[in-house]
Amino acid sequence: MAAGYDSAESNYTDDECSTQGRDELISNQTNILGEFYKNHREEEYNRGHNLELFPESPDVTFKESCIVGIDEAGRGPVLGPMVYGICYCPVSKTDTLASLGFADSKELKPSKRDTLMQIMIQQSGMIGRGVEVLSPNYISNCMLARDKINLNVISHNTAIRMIRRLLERGVNISLVLLDTVGDAKSYEKKLNKEFEGKFKIEVHIKADSKFPIVGAASICAKVVRDWCLDNWVFKENVNFTSKLGSGYTGDPNTKAWLSGNLDKVFGYPNIVRFGWSTCRKKLEKAYQVEWEDEEDNDNPKIESFFGKGKVAKSHPFFTERFLENPK
Amino acid sequence: MFEARLLNGSLWKKIIESIKDVVEDANWECSGSGISLQGMDSSHVALVSLHLKSDAFDPYRCDRNISLGLSSTNLSKILKCSSNDDSVIIRTSEASDNVSFIFESSNSEKVSQFDLKLMNIDSEHLGIPDMEYDSIVKMPSNEFQRICRDLSLLGESVQIACTKDGVQFTSSGSIGSGKISLRPNITAENLDDTVNIELNEAVLLTFALRYLNFFTKATSLAPRVILSFKTEHPLVVEYQIQDIGYLKFYLAPKIEDDDTKQTTTPD
Repeated sequence: MAAGYDSAESNYTDDECSTQGRDELISNQTNILGEFYKNHREEEYNRGHNLELFPESPDVTFKESCIVGIDEAGRGPVLGPMVYGICYCPVSKTDTLASLGFADSKELKPSKRDTLMQIMIQQSGMIGRGVEVLSPNYISNCMLARDKINLNVISHNTAIRMIRRLLERGVNISLVLLDTVGDAKSYEKKLNKEFEGKFKIEVHIKADSKFPIVGAASICAKVVRDWCLDNWVFKENVNFTSKLGSGYTGDPNTKAWLSGNLDKVFGYPNIVRFGWSTCRKKLEKAYQVEWEDEEDNDNPKIESFFGKGKVAKSHPFFTERFLENPK
Repeated sequence: MFEARLLNGSLWKKIIESIKDVVEDANWECSGSGISLQGMDSSHVALVSLHLKSDAFDPYRCDRNISLGLSSTNLSKILKCSSNDDSVIIRTSEASDNVSFIFESSNSEKVSQFDLKLMNIDSEHLGIPDMEYDSIVKMPSNEFQRICRDLSLLGESVQIACTKDGVQFTSSGSIGSGKISLRPNITAENLDDTVNIELNEAVLLTFALRYLNFFTKATSLAPRVILSFKTEHPLVVEYQIQDIGYLKFYLAPKIEDDDTKQTTTPD
């Protein structure tokens, strides 16, 4: 930890960091996320569960007052988990962070994101980080439960949980910066109420492009989200064809995957968020379930007690015109 | 030519409101003896049988037996256009595909006419044999309505037990259970308030409350209701319409599977 912190003192140039990052990437391909995922291989890789991955906090974050950034990746897509990322470092290191190149993950190429992730791991003595992976199955369950929990509420609660986790460790928080979910004002109010003004909380629109620490959080989230999708282990014992794509419904690969992998009986595997209208529409093409009406099952028909009676003749208006109802 | 005038037109309204939840489309059979109707609900669990004597109407003219196929919903809509003290004339002819409903105010100052198109309805007609019932309960109709309504708060069906001591209504569901017992009471001041039980044999039967609550919509037609029970036979819920006719509902009993029997009879 301390060593990592020291090395942060030396300023990277752009070139240095990309070369070094790439080398690390190749040698430590699994390590990048291995750190996040080391205890979650194979069987534990059951995507029905949420994962909370918080590497140890840098010592310096207990001593110095810290700035915290929170952002998410994968709110919109129909496939895969939603990932929340949190990053924190001493307020005094804010400038260092900016010089390292942390910015909005959406504006960075995947390779650049991986590099920055690598830098973050190298800088473990200065930058603390964590992610929470909310499985698509969990999101489906929330959205389709009898008491529905919408995605905004899930998001808010996740952010609250992550901040609380840092507090429990004793991280010295002075400011939390978040990207907004829903209305920024009311979100800020909700968070302030939750933490009773122990530290400053600011909710911003596009916080990930305004603040490097939120950008760093968005990179954590995005890298893990992409990794989850690329390495998805299907619990269902079925070979699914073609690429998942980005998981967004606008992605032609995702569209093709959804159209090509619909089982008429079993629907979709758990990677799909069933609460999405895209998914519901696709599922209309699958076989529908007919529920037998139980109530009338134990009630015998009244005809079974009485014999046939004399049927009255139809009205002459119909009989004279040979009008009959179709059988 | 068919024509029937009922002075107390509101009676029609009450009758239609009583049956419309059970039978949707039915043939109204008009003959020299009066007007009758028989129909089943869509799931064929309940049956309605209505008869109004020709005496009830003045004038009543029926040259030839005629069957008028009408939807209860539409009939109810039309009759809601009449005022309570209007007289109601029903008129049609063999050649017409319409039935006219003519409402005349008591002072004869307002006359409204509504024509309903006839429908050709293929209805099954059941022969209901006369039979000897095990037990016949006569009680105030509003009391029966109340019991059915209250018990449907608890469960979907009611178990009715008639014994020499009285009649007991029981219902149970996920929130709990309810039990209402009535003792025979023949000393009430008002004859309409008495509970009278004729018992040949004790019976224990279960019925769907959903239907009983439909039937008791007829409560305003008669102060008394007659419940006729026979083991493994349909229940008859009968309302006498003054001295001019009757409205009877038949409801098939529920068959209890062995599981529920075990839980209802103590070991």
